[in-house]
Amino acid sequence: MAATTVIQAELPPELTDRARSFVEEGWAANMNELLAEALRRFLESHSGDLTEAMIQEDVNWGLHGKD
Amino acid sequence: MAKTEGSAKVVVCDAGPLIHLDELDALDLLGDFPEVLVPEAVWREVLRHRPLALEKKTLVLVRVAPSPGQPTSLLRGLFETMSLHRGEQEAPALATKHEHALLLTDDTAARLAAGVLGLGVHGTIGILIRAIRRAQRTKKQVLELLGAIPNKSTLHLKRSFLATIIDQVEHEAG
Repeated sequence: MAATTVIQAELPPELTDRARSFVEEGWAANMNELLAEALRRFLESHSGDLTEAMIQEDVNWGLHGKD
Repeated sequence: MAKTEGSAKVVVCDAGPLIHLDELDALDLLGDFPEVLVPEAVWREVLRHRPLALEKKTLVLVRVAPSPGQPTSLLRGLFETMSLHRGEQEAPALATKHEHALLLTDDTAARLAAGVLGLGVHGTIGILIRAIRRAQRTKKQVLELLGAIPNKSTLHLKRSFLATIIDQVEHEAG
């Protein structure tokens, strides 16, 4: 088994309830798996390079845009 | 400097830019757009995190209830794939209903979704820098606002990247 790290986090109750239901319905093996997958997906869709590229477009629009 | 260029017809806001611009005392910059639409889910999110942003006398925000019925399967699939939450879904969905609408969001996934939908999309940084070109703020004022982002706002940016942006504005802005 790969090494793991224990993280303590405060989450809104509504989000926690939805996550628990998701696991209980069988869509994920357990909360650990669900949270790891959620974190992985977030990091993939918010990669630093991608975010920088988008903000750079913003900078160029701010400086030289027409609207 | 005169305002010689037109602005987008409609702006649709996600929560991020409303909150971040207000934190920087720069929410008035949105007043340059003819209409600023705020979807219901975004309104509630801002109300929870930054209620004062919704009470500015100098800026009219139009609260928009969600359209009846479900979004198209394309939109639904896209939003689910991007894991967009309610406000991040309502904002691009509303923007697709207005020709030439500009979506304002600071969320990378929401920007990606907007790109897929062919929407014009920008964020807090763009609005701040645009203020020079639109004669809403001086270059010096905008540089100060950019420099204040780490301490005065909850917009999270890599410090070295922010320094690059400030440098670019210093050299390229009129």
